[in-house]
Amino acid sequence: MKGLFKSKPKTPVDLVRQTRDLLIFVDSSNSSSSSKDSKRDEKFATLSKVLRELKQILYGNSEAEPVAEACAQLTQEFFKQNTLRLFIICLPKLNLEARKDATQIVANLQRQQVHSRLIACDYLEKNIDLMDILASGYENPDMALHYGAMLRECIRHQSVARYVLESQHMKKFFDFIQLPNFDIAADAAATFKELLTRHKSTVAEFLSKNYDWFFAEYNSKLLESPNYITRRQAIKLLGDMLLDRSNSAVMTRYASSVDNLRILMNLLRESSKSIQIEAFHVFKLFAANQHKPADIVSILVANRSKLLRLFADFKPDKEDEQFEADKAQVVREIAGLEPRET
Amino acid sequence: MAHQDVLNRETKSSQYPHDPNSYEILNEIGRGCSAIVYKALCTTTCSVVAIKSIDLDRSKTDDFDNIRREAKTMSLLSHPNVLKAHCSFTVGRRLWVVMPFMSAGSIQSIIATSFPNGISESCISIILKETLMGLCYLHDQGHLHRDIKAGNILMDLNGSIKLADFGVSASIYESSSRCLMLNEITGTFYWMAPEVIHSYNGYSYKADIWSFGITALELAQGRPPLSHLPFSESLVMKITKGLRFSDYMKEEEKGNKNPKLSKYFKDMVGLCLDQDPLKRPSATKLLKHYFFKNCKGCDFLVKNLLQGLPSVELRFKEIKIQRVGSISKEQTDDDSEEDIEESFTGSNVKKHRRISGWNFSLNANCDLMDPVFPVGDTIKSSILLDQGGNASSEKEGYIDVGKASSPSAVSSSGGEAVDISFGSNGVDRETVVRSLTTLKKSLDEQRDKVKFMLAMVGAEDTRGNDHNSHGGDNGSKEEHLMQSLFVKVCLLAIYN
Repeated sequence: MKGLFKSKPKTPVDLVRQTRDLLIFVDSSNSSSSSKDSKRDEKFATLSKVLRELKQILYGNSEAEPVAEACAQLTQEFFKQNTLRLFIICLPKLNLEARKDATQIVANLQRQQVHSRLIACDYLEKNIDLMDILASGYENPDMALHYGAMLRECIRHQSVARYVLESQHMKKFFDFIQLPNFDIAADAAATFKELLTRHKSTVAEFLSKNYDWFFAEYNSKLLESPNYITRRQAIKLLGDMLLDRSNSAVMTRYASSVDNLRILMNLLRESSKSIQIEAFHVFKLFAANQHKPADIVSILVANRSKLLRLFADFKPDKEDEQFEADKAQVVREIAGLEPRET
Repeated sequence: MAHQDVLNRETKSSQYPHDPNSYEILNEIGRGCSAIVYKALCTTTCSVVAIKSIDLDRSKTDDFDNIRREAKTMSLLSHPNVLKAHCSFTVGRRLWVVMPFMSAGSIQSIIATSFPNGISESCISIILKETLMGLCYLHDQGHLHRDIKAGNILMDLNGSIKLADFGVSASIYESSSRCLMLNEITGTFYWMAPEVIHSYNGYSYKADIWSFGITALELAQGRPPLSHLPFSESLVMKITKGLRFSDYMKEEEKGNKNPKLSKYFKDMVGLCLDQDPLKRPSATKLLKHYFFKNCKGCDFLVKNLLQGLPSVELRFKEIKIQRVGSISKEQTDDDSEEDIEESFTGSNVKKHRRISGWNFSLNANCDLMDPVFPVGDTIKSSILLDQGGNASSEKEGYIDVGKASSPSAVSSSGGEAVDISFGSNGVDRETVVRSLTTLKKSLDEQRDKVKFMLAMVGAEDTRGNDHNSHGGDNGSKEEHLMQSLFVKVCLLAIYN
């Protein structure tokens, strides 16, 4: 690659500097459509080209693998100054291909180590407000997929994920994942899931601190959503969260509430088999709980015959030993319940 | 002006509403195992679109990530030779992907309708070049197509060519266990690279190039190589171990199919069909092959391929009529097939049950058998299971969004009709008779369909012969299996 165009600077460091200069120009240029000046277009075109070259250094191409040394130089120069902020701010002004390249560059940089340090993380911790821009991206259909992809890469860093979890954006995700635009809604759902599953200790801390509002929202907006996809994704994620060892305190609390049981039992009678099966994985926690509150026992007893009838021919399409074992235990528990005085 | 273009593109694309009521379904124009394609009118933009309606309930939860990735990719693609999605949104349990309507349909269906023995090389070179440019773009973006074949190359009335069914279909087909087999045998099998058949991890850019080579032969011969043979394990071995391109050409020339193929064509295809993926050229490199020099323009295709071609709808309807109807209702087809298969295997004949309502009363002393409907509970109109456990055919409590105009609203009634329950005492005789009659009718329809398939294939009478020669050594069980597989192959070939 090098030496093909001798007139242009080609080292990774030079490329980053050139990109930065171009982005500063883009940032300051007036975006009013009246300016039809050719110089501006030329700069945009150059920027697109340079972004492509940066991407090739980081990802390699069909002929060559990326070179670690070049990647490290690029990363170091990138975070030496405020280049990432420029990337994010200027993204809406770029064309589609340049946006995709920029997004992939930012994503890749989150994993690059310089002297065995993730310097992207250090940078983000000092510029954490950038996460506010990225998270708000879901409100803008044109930017959602790009900012969303960047955000998901940034929350690989635990400190960054903690910031987002504790921010006001967290509440908005309950709406983002139900946006009518499927690709955006699905992207938001992926980010939501990542936030709630990736960093175990942070998630456990978040859930215990925010238990009340979080599960109130989770139940009413997601598990009881009229939207099939929302319910299906939410019940799966709920199972993933509650069955994680690190969330055992939260699980115990969740499985002691009659309101939660009510929602789960309604999901058990959905016509969608997939939802039923996922609901079972959460329902079993209520049944298997050795310290069931009296009101939970009452409901299970009151519906005992129907539950047993439901479970009698309840099985996933694929044979699953674990599922059968769980089911047998749940059936035993329910069959053996004694009504208690309340 | 690049950014200006982007602005235009975005406003254009965001005009398509995410509301099923804004689309008027005109015709069904295609059908796969978990997806149906409609021609529809978008009433807000007054434009004709194609809508692919995908049953999400058939895909496993783990595959949601794939669906998401592919939906995202599709909406971020932008190349003249790649079919892009205008938008996508969910309608009940189905995902609707709204795409431009390519009015001439797939190259496969054009060939099947007008050129059963293949099309001319000048047409082939144009189609393949356009396809290859789309493929270059995909590979450049880091995506694989995974299912290149004439059925996924679409054409518009102005002759423009787009590569379609990228991603969404592939991943969704992969994700549904039921469809997995069908799709892999039929949708892709004959086009599949040897390393892909050997290992699922082996898929790379170069596997797309193999499929591209097979597609080239498909265009030249009217069908992919070896597709006249029945599908069987031995065939897999033949393809993966034995097939050299030179052997193939010899075999074909003996058959005197299309002796006029140029040496450039043969050389180009030969490069694609190298057994060693590393030796196959990249898409970019292949584009520079001599075969693609001096290609004519797309208007050449209009003159030579589209004359007298029936519309996409008519072509699909033709197939539909011949298939003895019965597919007017969504899912009916698949469901009845499912029911029958289940009753054959003797498992799970009963539809799985739903509980009609829970007792959330905290007072445990109330009658246990009486379902209690707490105030404010959102129990939908569903018929109760009676106490004998007698499965009266339950109505789905689930109500589709956009019922009025959406095709998904006409779901299930056909499938539900065949609802037989064994093992309960209080079965009403009349119900049973009715159910059995319905089942019989459905079986008859199935038989007719199969007969038709056989008749179609029987035109060359390859089926019988090949079956005898292959099935003979392995006993009748395998023959039976192959026969049923073969019918499915035919069915899917026609769906495409």
